[in-house]
Amino acid sequence: MALLSLNNIEVAYDQVFLAVRGVSIEVPERGLVALLGANGAGKSTVLKSISGLLKPERGAVNRGEITFDGRSILAIDPPDRVRLGIVHVLEGRRVFGHLTPRENLIAAATMHRDRGHVSALIDRMFQTFPRLAERAKAKAGYLSGGEQQMLAIARALMTEPRLLMLDEPSLGLAPFLVDEIFDIIRAINERDGVAVLLVEQNATAALEIAHSGYLIENGRILMGGTADVLRSNPDVADAYLGGHQKVDYHAVKHYRRRKRWLA
Amino acid sequence: MDWMLIAELAVNGVFVGLMYALVSLGMVLIYKTSGIANLAQGAIAMTGGYVAWVLLAGLGAPVWLAIPGALVGMFAFGMLIERVALRRMIGQPVIMTIMLTLGIEIMLRGLLPGVFGASVKRLDIGIPQAPLFVADLLINRATLIGGGISLVLIVASLIFFNSRFGVVMRAVADDQTASWSVGIRVERAIAVAWGLGAVAATAAGILWGSTQGVDWSLSLLLIKALAIAILGGLDSIGGVLIAGVIVGVAESLATGVVDPLVGGGTRDIVAAVIILATLLFKPHGLFGREHIERV
Repeated sequence: MALLSLNNIEVAYDQVFLAVRGVSIEVPERGLVALLGANGAGKSTVLKSISGLLKPERGAVNRGEITFDGRSILAIDPPDRVRLGIVHVLEGRRVFGHLTPRENLIAAATMHRDRGHVSALIDRMFQTFPRLAERAKAKAGYLSGGEQQMLAIARALMTEPRLLMLDEPSLGLAPFLVDEIFDIIRAINERDGVAVLLVEQNATAALEIAHSGYLIENGRILMGGTADVLRSNPDVADAYLGGHQKVDYHAVKHYRRRKRWLA
Repeated sequence: MDWMLIAELAVNGVFVGLMYALVSLGMVLIYKTSGIANLAQGAIAMTGGYVAWVLLAGLGAPVWLAIPGALVGMFAFGMLIERVALRRMIGQPVIMTIMLTLGIEIMLRGLLPGVFGASVKRLDIGIPQAPLFVADLLINRATLIGGGISLVLIVASLIFFNSRFGVVMRAVADDQTASWSVGIRVERAIAVAWGLGAVAATAAGILWGSTQGVDWSLSLLLIKALAIAILGGLDSIGGVLIAGVIVGVAESLATGVVDPLVGGGTRDIVAAVIILATLLFKPHGLFGREHIERV
C-alpha cells in the first residue's frame, strides 16, 4: 500500500481561487516521486496541502482525501503531521537566518525529548553535510545558497521523517551544487529508506533520480508514470527536457504546437 | 557643582533604571517571539501589583507565598491574553494587533482601580525603607534591592534564550511558517512568551508597588519601558540592560541637576526625549538585530 495517497483533492485560496483540482498522486514506501510542472502549475500548493501549511495563506482543501500510512490527515494540524513523519522543505530554503546552523537543527527537534538523541542526530547531520559543520558558528542567514539548502534539508531530517517533501531544492543554485544536492537526496532515499516527494522545475535533474513522476499543469495532473516513461514521452521531452534532437529553425512553423498529452 | 550629589544621583539612577528595564524585558520577550510590540505591558505590571496586594493584604498570605502566587497567576494571565485576544489576530495587519494591546492597557487601567478603589494601596514586602550609606553616598535600599532582583531576572532570561526552548522561541521569531514546517508548535511558543512577559512585568509591578504603593500610576511604567525597549533595540535583552541603565541615570540626573534650574518636571520628559532621539537617529536602537539580506 502507498505511504501517502492524495485522492482527487481540490484546493482553493480565499475560497475563490482554485489552484488545484482533481489531483490524485501516490508515494509508495521508500519511493522517490517527482512532481514536475511549470510556474504556477500548482506544485507547491499540492505540497502545502499535504504538510498543512495552506492555512497561513488562507488556502484550504475543499474536496478529496489525503491519507498517510492509511489514516486521513486532513483534520490534523501541521506540527502533528510532522510528528506522524511528514516534513516539508519550503521553497526558497527559509532557514532561521538569525540562528546558527546548530541552533537551526536544535529548533527542529522539538518532538524528541531525549537530549542525547538530539545531539546524536545533530552529529549525524554534520557528517552528512560537512560544509555545515565548517560553518556551525556563523549565522545561517550569511551562508551561501547551497549551504542554506543543505541546512534546510538537514533541519527537516532532524524530525526523523518517513516522507520528505522538497519544494524546488535546485532553485537559484549553480549546476554543480544542484548535482550535489540531488546526490544527497538520492542517498537519503536509498540509505535511510525515507520516501521523497520532489517538486521541481528542473525536470532533467529530477527525472534522473526519481523512480516515478507526475506532470502537473494548470492545477491538474496530466500524466504519471515511471521516470523512463516520462523521459521517453516526446511531449514531455519537448516541453520540459529541452527537446531531444536539434531543431532546424528554418523549418520551424510558427504555429503553436498543440499538446495532446497522449500517454 | 557638587560631585558627590551627581555620583549619588547616578548610582541610584542605575538601580532605578534596572527596575524600569524589568518592565521592558517583558516587551522584548514578546517582541522576540511574535514580532509584536506589547503596549499593554504597563497595565500588566499594574495588574501584577494589584494581584500581589490582594494576596498579601486582602487574603493575608505571607510574603513568601504571595509573591510566587502573584507571579504564577500572572503567567496564566499573560497566556490568557494571548489565547483570548492575540491569537484571533493572526493574519491581520500588525497595526491592528498593536492597537489591541493598547486597548488592553487602557481597559486594565480603568478596570482595576474601578474594582479595588482608586486610593493608593500599601504593598509591604519586607524591604526596609531606611537608606543605606556606602562611603558618603546615600543609596535607597528599596531601589538597590529592586535593581539587584531585576538584574538577576534579566541575566536569567539571557541564559534562557540560549536553552533548547529559547532557541525554539527565536526560531519562531525568525520565520513562523518555517517553524510550523518542522513541527514547532508556534502558538504555544508565543503563549509562553506572553506568560513570561507578564511574569517580568509582575516582578516589576511588585517592586515598584513596594516603593510607591499600588495604584493606576504603576501603568505609567509603560512609557519608561517603551523608551528603554526602543533605545535598546526591541529585540535585544542585553540592549534592555544597558538602555535601562542609561534611561535611569539620565532621569536621575535630570531630576537632580536640571530640575532646580527650570523649576521641576524634567523627569517625565527624559523618556519621551529618548524615544524621539532614538527613532530619529538610530531607528533600530543600540543593539537591534540587523536585517540579514544576502546579495
